[in-house]
Amino acid sequence: MATLIPTLTLSSADATTDLINFSVVDNLTITGKVIGLSRVVTSTGDLTLLASSSYSRSYVYLKNIDDSIAMDVDFGSTASFNIRPGEFAFFPWHASQNIVVAADSGTPILEYAIFEA
Amino acid sequence: MATTTATISISSSDLMPGSPLNISASSTLMKTGITTGMELMEMGNAEIATDYEAQLFADGPATDNGAYWIYICNTTTDDDTRYIEYKLHETVIGRLYAGDWMFVPYNASDGDAEVEVKGLIGANKIEYAMFKTAWTLPAAES
Repeated sequence: MATLIPTLTLSSADATTDLINFSVVDNLTITGKVIGLSRVVTSTGDLTLLASSSYSRSYVYLKNIDDSIAMDVDFGSTASFNIRPGEFAFFPWHASQNIVVAADSGTPILEYAIFEA
Repeated sequence: MATTTATISISSSDLMPGSPLNISASSTLMKTGITTGMELMEMGNAEIATDYEAQLFADGPATDNGAYWIYICNTTTDDDTRYIEYKLHETVIGRLYAGDWMFVPYNASDGDAEVEVKGLIGANKIEYAMFKTAWTLPAAES
């Protein structure tokens, strides 16, 4: 059993007339499988990044490290995210649908990690 | 144009013995396209009764396939077995237990909000925010 500590900070000096500056921290207990920080080359074809049959409840980190090409992240056949160049996502995943990735074009690289609760 | 920055760090000292984990990433929240910072947002907090399924961000993003960011945190503190189940586009993605949060880019794909949360095991308190490329307030009812 291990402890994973994700922290999110959102800040802006000019989005509103008041400062935005907040952080949220969690302490997650990880008891299952872990894929440490990894990278995969995507393409315009669907790539099953994480198969639901292989995981139970997990936490997923994704980052598009390309500087010009976005990519879609689908859950099963449902389109959900479009991660643009340089963007990241962190979310709990219940592993009821595969996580499928497809690039808008070309072969951008996706960075990812998964931590099973 | 505003500059709003999201930074994440993910760390663990005991996940892999002898190899502490330290992931860090930062992103400026941009409107559709990647050159103009987001200026529109909606924030709030709510209590979700058990088995009640709620739609966040009433009437949804105004622009199909625009760029949005979603933040949801389960701020429940009195019972760590409670959780909310969240859906995007009618698909259950995951559960946010007490204290858990998520932050993801999101594209609407149609004009409905389709960001839904359901409370389970008891009432759950949440806070949430959506950063938006475009936003039109719901029309007044006649």
